[in-house]
Amino acid sequence: MSDLTLGELDRDGAIREAVEQVSGETRTAFLGRAAVGGAALLGALAAPGRSEATAASDVAILNYALTLEYLQAAFYTETERFGAVGGELKRVPPQLGAVERAHVEAIKAALGRAAVKRPAFDFQGVTEDQSKFLRTAVAFEDLGAAAYKAQAPRIKSSALLAAAVSIHSVEARHAAWMRYLAGATPAANAFDQGKPESEVRAIVASTHFIVRHPKSTASKRPKYTG
Amino acid sequence: MAKGVAGQRAIIRALAVGAAAIAAAVIAVLVWSRPSSPSPVVEEAQALPASPRPALSVPRPVRLRESPGAAYWASVRRDVSARELASLRAPTVTRLVRTTPEETANIVLVLGRARDESGRLWVHVRLPVLPNGRTGWVPRSALGGYGLVHTHLVIDLERLTATLLRDERPILRAPIGVGKPAWPTPEGEFYIRNRLSRYSSPFYGPLAFGTSARSSVLTDWPGGGFVGIHGTNAPELLPGRVSHGCVRLRNEDILELGRLMPVGTPVTIR
Amino acid sequence: MRREPARGRRSGDDVSRASAAGLQLEVFPPGDDDLGVSTRAQFVARAVVAGGALTAGGVLVAGLPRIAVSAPSPAQDQKILNFALLLEYIESGFYAEAFAKGKLTGNLLEYVTIVRGHERAHVAFLKGALGDKARKEPKLDFGETTSDPEKFTTAAIALEETVIAAYNGQAANLTKGTLNEAAKIVSVEARHAGWIRAIAGRNPAPNATDQPKTGAEVQAEIKRTRFLRAG
Repeated sequence: MSDLTLGELDRDGAIREAVEQVSGETRTAFLGRAAVGGAALLGALAAPGRSEATAASDVAILNYALTLEYLQAAFYTETERFGAVGGELKRVPPQLGAVERAHVEAIKAALGRAAVKRPAFDFQGVTEDQSKFLRTAVAFEDLGAAAYKAQAPRIKSSALLAAAVSIHSVEARHAAWMRYLAGATPAANAFDQGKPESEVRAIVASTHFIVRHPKSTASKRPKYTG
Repeated sequence: MAKGVAGQRAIIRALAVGAAAIAAAVIAVLVWSRPSSPSPVVEEAQALPASPRPALSVPRPVRLRESPGAAYWASVRRDVSARELASLRAPTVTRLVRTTPEETANIVLVLGRARDESGRLWVHVRLPVLPNGRTGWVPRSALGGYGLVHTHLVIDLERLTATLLRDERPILRAPIGVGKPAWPTPEGEFYIRNRLSRYSSPFYGPLAFGTSARSSVLTDWPGGGFVGIHGTNAPELLPGRVSHGCVRLRNEDILELGRLMPVGTPVTIR
Repeated sequence: MRREPARGRRSGDDVSRASAAGLQLEVFPPGDDDLGVSTRAQFVARAVVAGGALTAGGVLVAGLPRIAVSAPSPAQDQKILNFALLLEYIESGFYAEAFAKGKLTGNLLEYVTIVRGHERAHVAFLKGALGDKARKEPKLDFGETTSDPEKFTTAAIALEETVIAAYNGQAANLTKGTLNEAAKIVSVEARHAGWIRAIAGRNPAPNATDQPKTGAEVQAEIKRTRFLRAG
């Protein structure tokens, strides 16, 4: 049978209202016992308050956030590995990398099999040059914060919204910090504007940082020396 | 005695008055210095709705682990001349093209990076050409994104074993067939360039890996032919010196290698 | 020929424990970049995840509900925004007084010059949004925090941190339109926090998330500052 979403079953909103809260620790424990597929949904609905189906739009927003977090995590991780950055910037890649990696793990854990796969990246030397790194870090953090702002009002689950705002403010701190290091005003305006998804995706695409995984396998018969 | 009792009462009254005065003074001091807690704010704060608990469980941030034996590779993004030095004026070592004969992305192993006089970034790479072990320099812009591997394959031509290391610790060891004396498997440093599967050729077993190693003696293939690592339909010959230069593994071993060894893994043959 | 134990066969290997538990392991894709979690932990994390977070249809498995959330409404927005206005009045008054006293120099002067403008704008916005329901401006006493650079820095950090936690705590309780505007404000407060902490030589962003605080917790933080006077 096809998997059902709560929206299709919960016409009067009673179940949704009853299950607004998500407890982090309890959920992780519950994950270990849960079966997958339609059975899980039916079983869960039989005990209202034990589970909540995530709106498809929330899944899409999480995957969108995950893509941005993958990008940031890979950017800082690669920069740290190449040791390209020093002086007063030295702690930035290790610290921001660790935090963005933690964000990736959190969103992946929530999405499970629905999570988009980590893309391949080509940073074209930006992770190998201190000043290019810093300019890009400023842009990434400003962009991440703007993306979260635009999505927050679209999130249907209030527990997910609470999680999103708690990450959003960290991205804004990062943005201020990177600007401070770059000698730019950390907070230029009294109100920060959000950026809609289409605009954010266009900006990311314009960097050409996200690439296709290079084709490394083929179904051809080997022409080796034998 | 009236005087004594009256005196005692006076003393008591004085003490009582004194105590009262002190108490009043203490109270006055307490009242005056106690920080004002505006009760409207307290009520207001407690009237605010509760905060829903965040749905995501964010783990504690973790530092990158040490990666002994980590290696980088990169795909060749455009046809480019690999040069002897990190300079556009240096002589060409070989021309690198974007795809392999098997139509996979051509990749090179990254050995180092440097900048030229104009600040352009160059990458020192291991080349899939003869003589084996050739390296050269290409501009960073000619390569794609970096891939990172933690594995290293060691082919021992004396002991006739293949050992896969991850983080410099062995995780797989298997008996192998290598080149006959007339067609020796070349020694040196190489890397896994691609992976072939779902072909039907029992001679090569279920899975084959192309390396950057070339055979310098075999002449039926253009350029001397590439040394592959693959399965076999004659496992009884292993371990042994049985091939034209390729490294052969039993099929169950090549499949296990396939689960553990990514493309780009450095290969040492000694 | 002896084979080295391959993955899954060493004792104590998290991978073998996970597979023994019957959870379906996602095949570890060779060549996947290290994202800062050890390989074994990554296996375990994926095993737990594959065990049953979301199905293709999208079931986010949850635990028991905790406190029931009261549904967003304009009346509730008003309560929350009035509380936010109180916080913005405190920040605005604090920075205005510090600027006026003229005892800050260098980075701190640059900070207070810009930030006081932001907080003033926040106050104006919230007053406008609340109209005649807006609270009165509170009586405030900042003591030496507006004239002593060190005390100023400590107080500014405390204020900004409290305000972020307050907004994060109430975000999910707001109607969508109000949330949209509140997000633009908390974003700037978070920048302030990063900025003043950087000036102070402290880690601008020490945590992976900024935990929300309840109204009562925020009220306790405000009380600790002793800035609010009765009357």
